Amino acid sequence: MNDLDPVTLIDSSCKYTIMNVLIVEDEKGLALEVDEFLSHEGFTVEHARTKKSASEKIFVNNYDFILLDLGLPDGDGFDLLKMLKSMNEREDAVIILTARGAVDDRVSGLEQGADDYLAKPFSLNELLARMHAITRRKHRLESNDINVKGLKINIQNRTVTYNDERITLTKKEFEIFNYLVLNKNRVISRTNLTEHVWGDVLEINSDSNFVDVHVKNLRKKLSVYIPIDWFETVRSIGYRINI
Amino acid sequence: MKLQVKLALYNTLTKLAIILFTGLLILLSIEKISYNHVELRLEENERETLKNLSSKEISSKLANQKPYTDYNILKEEFIIITPVKFEPTETKAVKFTTETRTSDLVTQTYRILTHQFNFNNHTYLLEIGVSVTSIEELKSIIKRFTLLTLIIALALTLVSDLVFTKFLLAPFYKIIDRKLIKVNDPMNFDYEKIQTTTQDFELLDDSISTLMKKISNLFALEKQFIANVSHELLTPISIISSRLENILLQEELSEASENKMHASLKTLNRLKSIINSLLLISKVENNQYDKAEVVMIAGIIMEIQEELEDRLEEKHLTFNNNIKYIYSIMGNRPLMHTLLFNLINNAIKYNKPKGSITVADELKEDVYVLEITDTGAGMDQQQIENAFNRFEKFETEEKESYGLGLAIVKSITAFHGIRVKIDSVKDRGTSIFLIFNRE
Repeated sequence: MNDLDPVTLIDSSCKYTIMNVLIVEDEKGLALEVDEFLSHEGFTVEHARTKKSASEKIFVNNYDFILLDLGLPDGDGFDLLKMLKSMNEREDAVIILTARGAVDDRVSGLEQGADDYLAKPFSLNELLARMHAITRRKHRLESNDINVKGLKINIQNRTVTYNDERITLTKKEFEIFNYLVLNKNRVISRTNLTEHVWGDVLEINSDSNFVDVHVKNLRKKLSVYIPIDWFETVRSIGYRINI
Repeated sequence: MKLQVKLALYNTLTKLAIILFTGLLILLSIEKISYNHVELRLEENERETLKNLSSKEISSKLANQKPYTDYNILKEEFIIITPVKFEPTETKAVKFTTETRTSDLVTQTYRILTHQFNFNNHTYLLEIGVSVTSIEELKSIIKRFTLLTLIIALALTLVSDLVFTKFLLAPFYKIIDRKLIKVNDPMNFDYEKIQTTTQDFELLDDSISTLMKKISNLFALEKQFIANVSHELLTPISIISSRLENILLQEELSEASENKMHASLKTLNRLKSIINSLLLISKVENNQYDKAEVVMIAGIIMEIQEELEDRLEEKHLTFNNNIKYIYSIMGNRPLMHTLLFNLINNAIKYNKPKGSITVADELKEDVYVLEITDTGAGMDQQQIENAFNRFEKFETEEKESYGLGLAIVKSITAFHGIRVKIDSVKDRGTSIFLIFNRE
């Protein structure tokens, strides 16, 4: 049984203990914030601000994650992706971060072997959730259910069980629960939650109270099995799961 | 009315007027001239007759107070002298009349000179007639001939006029067709000059091209500006939002500050949505998407219905999917999804609780029509006209609306060549028709 921390998560399944991340981003301010957040989450973080320094770093080190901005001062981030893919025995997961936002970029990024794509501005919580998803996919952690107060979340099968009894959740309810658990002990705003579950649909994220309906149903379903005082509603903001 | 038609109409009318006028003039003058001629002859005959009154043949008749009648063989001329009641004073007056006379079963029209004179203390009435039947015949022949000639002339000049104006105006119509009618977007304006030797048309062509160039430059500039601004704004927003999220991780944060942070994040999210919407519009308008995908309309509607289920439930709305046809277009799937999503989302947003939304379609000979009808607030004429403008929003219970939804709809429909029609009754509901051309 795993806890949620990425560091300990890897502990039980892989050889190394700390995951390292390379941020390739020319905006110093953004790189620093991502660094702070990921460090707080237990990652080791390195920066590269240009294509040149990034390629040097990639050449020397293996990274668990490369967060890649496409518009670099000395060239296109896609070139780094190509270079990485041409190298043997590299498992570095690449998440493209870009303000270009073009659908084409997304498609060609994923076609060229990027693991995921996030359009700026993105939520750090969302970034973390995506990184978790990639880790699970890459390291095939099917057996590693997440345990929350006796509720077992199986991300692969997208099921929640309590004492081997399956709790029937809708797709959206599962997504909401999973996202809140991944971002445990943090208030997750409705906006953030909506964006994660429904995707970046224009306008719809404006004032999305309809996420409440799903949360209400989810809480009702969970409370049949255990008391859910840890599943907190933060007034006028959103929700928090305290573990 | 087209200029060409107007010119043709004007030409026809003026020619018709000229022909009528000349025709009448010719006919009248023919009558006048021929009668004049006849009358001269009659007067001469009269003098001749009066001179010959004493001839044996006439005087013998007159002596007996009997009328003297003489027709020539073909009855073309006659002289009649009839004794009448005595009038001591002789009048010089000569009268001309046109009459029909019958002699030996031959009826003819004559121009007749009538003159009273005294001879041997008796008064006689002299009538000298000349047949004008031949003149009348001539007149009608001339009448027909002139009419025919004039009609032929009219037809010929009309045709030549038409051909010439058509030739003359051809470049003008080409300019109108290629430079005005077919231009729905200044970005793909055809700058090729239209061949013409008419200076005015050249000027017109040049002016339109110059204007269009200016407009398209402005357009391009505006689009570039929006794209740049949007892109350059997204990175700073990203930095601020990450920073706020990191601040939220600090445990010593007071609840009040935490609330403010979340509120700021929400505001940033709103900013992001607006920028992304503008960016989307500008990209669609710049043709930065391709439309080589087969997109099935019914499939997208079903997807959206599923996605928006919660919103429908929240407002207790009934969603009627009455789509009958499997209709596909060549287009961009994500954009078509956004288009229909926005329309159906609007139908939800502006609907009244427990209302309904109906999606129906119709396949006609040349078009496929998709209709989205709601039972919501509706719009008046003014609102319909402004509906597609950016940042135009209507009163809604939703707290935040950016007024870009329909602007996005407009750009996506224009991109796909779909026509949009809005039918709406205030407080009753709105129907939006998407009209696809079948190719």
